[in-house]
Amino acid sequence: MKKIKFIFLIVTIFSPVLIAQGFKVKSTGSQSFNFEDKNGRNQITFYSATPLEDITGTANGISGTISFDVANFSKTLKGSLTVKVASMNSGIELRNQHLKSANWLNAEKYPDIVFTIKEAMDVKQIETNKLEFKVRGDFTMHGVTKEIIADAEATYLDESEQTKRRAPGDLLGVRAKFNVKLSDYGVNNQIIGNKVAESIEVSVNMVGSNKN
Amino acid sequence: MNKKQKLILLIGFFVIIISFLIWAFFGFEIFTKTQVLVESKDELFGWSEKKWVDKFIWGIDLSLAISGITIFISGFLLYFFRNKKITS
Repeated sequence: MKKIKFIFLIVTIFSPVLIAQGFKVKSTGSQSFNFEDKNGRNQITFYSATPLEDITGTANGISGTISFDVANFSKTLKGSLTVKVASMNSGIELRNQHLKSANWLNAEKYPDIVFTIKEAMDVKQIETNKLEFKVRGDFTMHGVTKEIIADAEATYLDESEQTKRRAPGDLLGVRAKFNVKLSDYGVNNQIIGNKVAESIEVSVNMVGSNKN
Repeated sequence: MNKKQKLILLIGFFVIIISFLIWAFFGFEIFTKTQVLVESKDELFGWSEKKWVDKFIWGIDLSLAISGITIFISGFLLYFFRNKKITS
């Protein structure tokens, strides 16, 4: 009986370590990645269906940092990302003006859209340097903050000749997808006479460096 | 309807038809665009990324605007070149 109790105790103490998910890469310890991209390649894509025409737009004004322990990603992930509303582009200048106006996202009063990470959940190791997970966090848009869960994927690349062409240091590539319900954030979904879908699909493609 | 009015009507009709043919040629787009999104592959991570490139796309809004202006000008000219009655 004592033996069983001992095994149970050991498993209980070490279970967080046993289930911890992380990258199996050369780098170790705590790493912090900066997502400010001077080349404008880091990108948020938003998609909405309207009765007349489906709208696909992008935003490139991304900044922020993500940090985690390489071997224990699931338990240590934290950070915050910001997107400038002014950087949003829907491909039509008049629509862009409307998008940023007081009737819509009100870029003057609320210039930033912010996502603050709370935790990583359901972390799955896809490859040694690639993790698939859900990320829970606070999403702030139009002055309203709501908790959302996004499907995400992170790829860790140790510094190499190939990665140096993009940016110095190790690189972290992050892809994420989530939906934003406009009414939750007090945004009127009329845009230049069209009713935009209540739910906007948002995709994130970005690369951060730990030496930026 | 005199000869000048017939000519104005013909030109107006022709302009409207041409504007809608151009619209059809550009792929029946609703809104006129000066930029379009093209996808390219990220050589490092293998995912696709979108990029804006300058390209003019003729939308139906432009055809409708041209048609409206043509109808307005044609109407004015039709009135201007009407047969004036000679009163003695």
